[in-house]
Amino acid sequence: MENQDTAVKAPRPEAVKSTLPQPGRPVPNRAYPGALIVVEGTDGSGKSTQLYLLKRWLEIGGYRLHFTEWNSSPLVKSATRRGKQRRLLTPSTFSLLHAADFADRCERQIMPLLQGDYLVLADRYIYTAFARDGARGCPEKWLRNLYRFAPIPDITFYFRAPLDVAVHRILSGRPKLKYYEAGMDLGLSYDRPESFRLFQARIMDGYDKMVESDNFVVLDGTLPVNKLQKQMRDIVAAKIDLKRFAPRAAEAE
Amino acid sequence: MPDQEKLKEKAVVAPEAPAADAVPGRLPAAADDDASKYFFGEPLVAFDPHEITGTLIVIEGMDGSGRSTQISLLQEWLESEGFAVQTSGLRRSTLVGRDIDELLAKNAVTRLTLALMYCTDFFDQLEHRIVPALKSGTIVLADRYIFTLIARSVVRGINRDYLSGLYAMALRPHLTFWLNVRPETAFGREFRKAQAISYWEAGRDMSLSHDLYWSFIRYQTMIKREFEAFSKRHDFLELDGEASVSGVNKLLRQRIADHLGIRATKYTPSSALSHLWR
Repeated sequence: MENQDTAVKAPRPEAVKSTLPQPGRPVPNRAYPGALIVVEGTDGSGKSTQLYLLKRWLEIGGYRLHFTEWNSSPLVKSATRRGKQRRLLTPSTFSLLHAADFADRCERQIMPLLQGDYLVLADRYIYTAFARDGARGCPEKWLRNLYRFAPIPDITFYFRAPLDVAVHRILSGRPKLKYYEAGMDLGLSYDRPESFRLFQARIMDGYDKMVESDNFVVLDGTLPVNKLQKQMRDIVAAKIDLKRFAPRAAEAE
Repeated sequence: MPDQEKLKEKAVVAPEAPAADAVPGRLPAAADDDASKYFFGEPLVAFDPHEITGTLIVIEGMDGSGRSTQISLLQEWLESEGFAVQTSGLRRSTLVGRDIDELLAKNAVTRLTLALMYCTDFFDQLEHRIVPALKSGTIVLADRYIFTLIARSVVRGINRDYLSGLYAMALRPHLTFWLNVRPETAFGREFRKAQAISYWEAGRDMSLSHDLYWSFIRYQTMIKREFEAFSKRHDFLELDGEASVSGVNKLLRQRIADHLGIRATKYTPSSALSHLWR
């Protein structure tokens, strides 16, 4: 939830100077004054719950923030639905459609808000595409290039839960797994829960490989919710100068 | 599409070739070696180029260069010679073809997103129409290909290497013809078609000129420059698009017949297409 009252705060001097690269070029570090916090992890790792709690904490504190979710741009919704219903999607087009969706959110929300000195929280980010589309067989080099325009997060939390725990959380709470969600297009197994399990295992491998190269902060998804949230808040407070995103009114008090 | 030199350069700077065997569903490492023979960069996921028995023929050229006319004529000629023919073109995919039409009509999308939607459209057609046709020995006549898509995005300021990377998995055509015309000629031809020039073919989103004619000329000149660069790098067969329809068609048929190993027979269009024969 953006705080309308504080949104008009004058940009800091370096924000005025900064220029963004041409589309398709990597965004250099600190090309914008805002900060980006990302959560990643397999389905059922607890990441969405934790990001929601982090968001509530910051909202209650009155910080200037924006929350964004993977796969939520209205732009490609009809195409994604059509593709899934008719099972038209291949690894490449599945990946490209999600990239188009992300590019739309990136260019219309994430980048402008980072330039406008906002704290942006993202539930899943480009690493979801790297892990998921990589599991579908898309070449890593191609995927990395595809998302080259995305700003690099200030913190990427990776929620790690053992495969059994994560799979159990999803299977017990969901009546039926969807075709692509279960990775049925990979032809790993005719049994949906089994296919889901094999698919998730591949995705987890993909995430694990990125821990070092992409500076993930690994958190244990099996910890009690409040303990995990405490860790998350401590890390955010240590790594990000939250005062910058605090409302002016609060400073005056 | 990175040319050979660029590929080598990149390999030196970033030796980050992903292990092909790490991901099941990918092609075996052996196929990667000659991937550049079939693809501009890396191989398409789960596809063996050796299964191709058909021929991919691309006709490129700006709006008003006569591409569609020539494709109609070539299709008739090839069918009369006994070949199965299929055509493809931009925005014809089942997946996102209509969505792009809508986005263009509303002009409500950024250039990067639009570029990615066009890319989705391209790969949907490549994987669901072009590749299956080529596997069954069909001749695919493509009305435009990745070159138009890359050129349009490059002139709008999207990074060239980024675009080459996007289309790295595109299949290399067997023959790529470029119908080269002057923008001034193209303007007249396009205007006569619809008694108007559309927003996009005049590149009006680029704020080049408030004047429709100059906007069209400047935009199409920028595109043409991109084609000139592609032409050298990718062995385009350049034809003078200002020549008569029958003259251009004769040259196309000669080159295609040569590639297919058939005799370049005489051809005059049937009554259904005779109106095109100027």
